[in-house]
Amino acid sequence: MTGGLQRVVSTLVLVGVSFCLTALILWISGYSVGEVFSGIIQGSVTATGAATSSIRWSIPLLLIGLGVVIGFRAGFFNIGGQGQFYVGACSALAVSLGWSGGPALLVVLCGTLAAIGAGTAWSLLPGYLRVRFGTDEVLTTLMMSFIGTLVLQYLTAGPMRNPSGTGQTAASERIPEGFRITDSSGVSPTVLVLVGGVAVLVWLLLERTRFGLAMTLVGRNPTMARWQGIDVRRVGLGAFALSGALAGLAGAVELYGPGARLVTGFSPEVGFTAVVVALVGLLSVWGTVVSAVFFGGLQSAILFLPIVTDLPPPALVLLHGMVAFLVTVRFRAIRLRPATSAEEALAD
Amino acid sequence: MEQILATTLRSAAPLALVATAGVFAFRAGIFHLGLEGLMIVGAFTTVAVGEATGSVELGILAAIGVCMVLSAVYWWVIGPLGANVIIAGLGLTSIGLGGTAFALGAIFDRRGSMFTEVVLPRPVSGITSGFGVIVSEHSVLVWMTPLIVLTAWVVLRRSRFGLRLAAVGEYPFAARAAGVNPSVVRLQALLIAGALCALGGAELSVGALHNFTENMTNGRGFIAFVAVIFGAWHPIGAALAALFFGFADAIGIQSQINITERVPREFVLMIPYVLTILAVWLGGLWRRRSLEAEAGYAELREPDR
Repeated sequence: MTGGLQRVVSTLVLVGVSFCLTALILWISGYSVGEVFSGIIQGSVTATGAATSSIRWSIPLLLIGLGVVIGFRAGFFNIGGQGQFYVGACSALAVSLGWSGGPALLVVLCGTLAAIGAGTAWSLLPGYLRVRFGTDEVLTTLMMSFIGTLVLQYLTAGPMRNPSGTGQTAASERIPEGFRITDSSGVSPTVLVLVGGVAVLVWLLLERTRFGLAMTLVGRNPTMARWQGIDVRRVGLGAFALSGALAGLAGAVELYGPGARLVTGFSPEVGFTAVVVALVGLLSVWGTVVSAVFFGGLQSAILFLPIVTDLPPPALVLLHGMVAFLVTVRFRAIRLRPATSAEEALAD
Repeated sequence: MEQILATTLRSAAPLALVATAGVFAFRAGIFHLGLEGLMIVGAFTTVAVGEATGSVELGILAAIGVCMVLSAVYWWVIGPLGANVIIAGLGLTSIGLGGTAFALGAIFDRRGSMFTEVVLPRPVSGITSGFGVIVSEHSVLVWMTPLIVLTAWVVLRRSRFGLRLAAVGEYPFAARAAGVNPSVVRLQALLIAGALCALGGAELSVGALHNFTENMTNGRGFIAFVAVIFGAWHPIGAALAALFFGFADAIGIQSQINITERVPREFVLMIPYVLTILAVWLGGLWRRRSLEAEAGYAELREPDR
């Protein structure tokens, strides 16, 4: 088997194992395995509105996931997609509310650019610390993510709060209907063309440009890349910037699409799920598209389960966790014969 | 003011316990993002077994057992099976949150939350005025937390195990050369971390409250993880960081009651994250080496994806 095919097969096997383990737990708890699968299929595809909802949820996962792919290509682990997504959405909201009388096309364009800018800024700070000082980016992107969550919390509970809003969770004012690019289903030709275009652009960038090649080289072996004459810092900063830009864009799409307003802690899991999406997609653009649709479907099924079956939604959160828990297992690490002492010494 | 301090202690205790767990994992070179999952499993198991047996002690013992088993599985996945530490940790968190919410429905046929009569004793209670309020109404686990943190410090600083742990975390190659098996030491550290997470979860469900609620940890596991870094992976530092987070939480609760004098709580809560970034950055700059080498988890990182 070639290396690529082997990785595809091993990932599929691991996702399959996660399914089986979850099904086993549910079966022990008295649900039939058929019920589990029919619940997932109905909740993600066949129930009324389920397929649309699957696509709606795969859009932010795909955009943030592509950002994670770019980061990993250059050897960086951007785990802060959630915060970048939030500050992006907040900036787009600020532009749209502050200039709500402007021409729709211009305002949406400015708002989207603001979102991309904010997402970029949010990941460039950890990126700069990483390439300049070697500060661990997992920690800093995670911290920036928490700060971004608090920024959203502050804005929706404070300056941008909708004063007439009631209920437990604070929410912002709604943006004018004319600014929205989809209805509340979150899917429209505009959005699909936009997201598809972004995926193609990312693919072109990674596979067909000098910069993409430089990123791959830096990710594989920074020392060698430097000797080849690549400016490692610049390439690293570029990767961080693009990664944050995509997450910020996802925030704008969320606001102008299904959201229309921001609620404290909306879509709480997309940042982390996007990392899993990118890994299940084997860090390739098209693999990420497939895996984003898969996880989008799972997310939709979580929301639809109470309608279509009596299987409780947490069962799918469990499945989701199981996939994340196991998906990075390496088959090479599983040995049928005991390792020789030399191999063992090299492993640590 | 007394009320704020009392709330601070109550919020800080579970954070400090879980942060101590994180310190053990961090010293072994593991970025443990599964703390949240273990914590909620601890909270649920204590309530579930406590309700079934009528004994809170049995509940806590069962919680410790379950969390240690999960920690062992986590070790198996990230160690021998070579999975990514961070992704598997996040997965463990999802498994904990989803699994407990599911089990609540499957075992007790409840949705959302469940009340329990089986709770931890409160050594001092009933004081309603003066400085006594600060120490009143705390569960026995809150009282034990400083002791647990100090014990952790002694173990890490003064015991053979603590020294081995430091060696494994800082330079596993040297540890191996000295005849220490890094894999086994990591397992031990994760088992201790699991037990401490169970205690933190138990304090949340049967110490501070009388119930288990879906997602009741509400990100506390991640805050505890930040406390570990903010406290420079020292048990006492992490506990002080937890105290700070508890204080920020208490201010938030008070300012919600007192709506006119609203402190922008979010900004108070941001301080530790900003300081953590600064600390991680300056720490690396000052010692001329990156945190990656400090945490020594580079060897646990996957080389090619």
